[in-house]
Amino acid sequence: MAQERFADVVERFANGYADLAAASPEILKKWQDELERGFKRMTNLAQMVQSPVEPRTGQTPREEIYRKGKARLYRYASKRTHRTPVLFVPNLGISRPYIFDLLPGGSFIEHMTKEGFDFYLLDWGVFGPEDNDLSFEDCVVKILPRVTRKVLESSGAPSLSVLGYCMGAPLSSSFVASHPEVPVKNYINMAGPIDFSKVGIFGLWLDRRFFDVDRFIDTMGYLPADMVKAGFKLLRPTMDLSTNLNLWWNLWNDKYVEGFNALNKWANEYVAFPGEFFRQWVRDFYQGNKLYRGELVFGGRPVKLEAIDCPLFVVGAKEDYIAPPACVRALMSAVRSRDKEYIELPGGHISLIAGRGASVHCWPRVSSWLASRS
Amino acid sequence: MTDVSAASQQLFDMWKKQMDEGAQAWTRLLGQNPTPTPDPLSFWKPAMEHGLQTWARIFATTPVSPDLMAQWKQFLDQTIEAWSKALGQVMTTDAYARAMGKSLEQWLASYAPVKKQAEQSIDAALQALNLPSRAQVTSLAKQLVDLEERLDRFEDGIAAVLRRLEGGKAG
Repeated sequence: MAQERFADVVERFANGYADLAAASPEILKKWQDELERGFKRMTNLAQMVQSPVEPRTGQTPREEIYRKGKARLYRYASKRTHRTPVLFVPNLGISRPYIFDLLPGGSFIEHMTKEGFDFYLLDWGVFGPEDNDLSFEDCVVKILPRVTRKVLESSGAPSLSVLGYCMGAPLSSSFVASHPEVPVKNYINMAGPIDFSKVGIFGLWLDRRFFDVDRFIDTMGYLPADMVKAGFKLLRPTMDLSTNLNLWWNLWNDKYVEGFNALNKWANEYVAFPGEFFRQWVRDFYQGNKLYRGELVFGGRPVKLEAIDCPLFVVGAKEDYIAPPACVRALMSAVRSRDKEYIELPGGHISLIAGRGASVHCWPRVSSWLASRS
Repeated sequence: MTDVSAASQQLFDMWKKQMDEGAQAWTRLLGQNPTPTPDPLSFWKPAMEHGLQTWARIFATTPVSPDLMAQWKQFLDQTIEAWSKALGQVMTTDAYARAMGKSLEQWLASYAPVKKQAEQSIDAALQALNLPSRAQVTSLAKQLVDLEERLDRFEDGIAAVLRRLEGGKAG
């Protein structure tokens, strides 16, 4: 009986659909458009499966200025209308830096060079077992001082601006705070965690009550890329589902597919952490919150955030689960700078640096703040 | 139009009823176990209820057109978001972090001897073939890193001397 009633309902529903579609030309046109999209979806899906196109990321022209270990310093071609060069310090490990120069028209680096900045990118590189002894401290006292010197030498400028993104912010702020002799004219923190007591879900998972970093590194030697991937996937377990749903929805749109291919390539290319770096990162930052507390000493130099007195610009993202706005904003009250500004933009961690939202809401704010001070 | 709306409403009422009855049957089945089981309804029912109501409302009020596809997409987005929030609430608990830490501990405890054994076997095989082991290659790479660091220090020293000389000339 129930089955009969169910069938009746389906039949009436289907008949009603056909009747209504026949009655309205507007709706017919919409169905026609939808069908065309459907065909286009199938065509693009077939192409993605049968002959996937390798996305051409990182197209902004650049030259290598310096290399140390796996790290590379690149200088990008630009009109260089601003006198002060910009050193961009991204995260170490986790992911590749081509996200910052993803595709023409959707590239942070392209935006900055078009705005006339003499732009330098520090690519920390992809690490192997031979790098397991590289520590956070090494990056701050051995790599960053040389990199800043190379930027000043090659640009011929008396000072530079430093821009830290994600983990690049604690790295570069530790450096700026402990090297007062380096002429840093401006400092920008984009989505970089500073106060790790407010760092959210990763802070809980890496809490010393639940995670023994020494045992982990002593056993594994390093944090493999697959584990980095697993950690980030766990952070948002439904992310892949919604990504694939959005892909299906927009699969008819060639421009979307091109962007998706590039972003998807980046999102699935994880980079391992050197063992000692990860140990120090977890122990001193996530578990000890030593940067914010001013308890770090690198290369015999105390790392005190209050030593930063240059103009400061801090950008947080409202829905950032990796570096929640509260832990990013903490830099504002920790420094001595008088000229300082904080903005909080919609979106997540990546939406500050990639995507249409970033190019509209974030990048122009960063470049205009910096332009007036460069 | 009214027929279609009424039919779609009826369709979704039936679907909802079937879902509820199915869930109740599962609960009864799980309830037969001697140990008390958590109520699965309490976890997923709010999200499912919300989704079903949205879905039913959409079908009851919308003219039948491809716009329904957009609403279907919106429905899925909302469902995924609801699940994401529900999972987020679980994952931000101490209990979840503790469980994750414990499983990692157990994995490390079982992995460490396997890793050691595998490394010893591979090293023995490579030695028999007169080939360098991973540790030897890594050690060589580390020596290169150290060498590079020493060269950098030399370069730094020379640069400092040159700067001092230039400063002296200028003075």
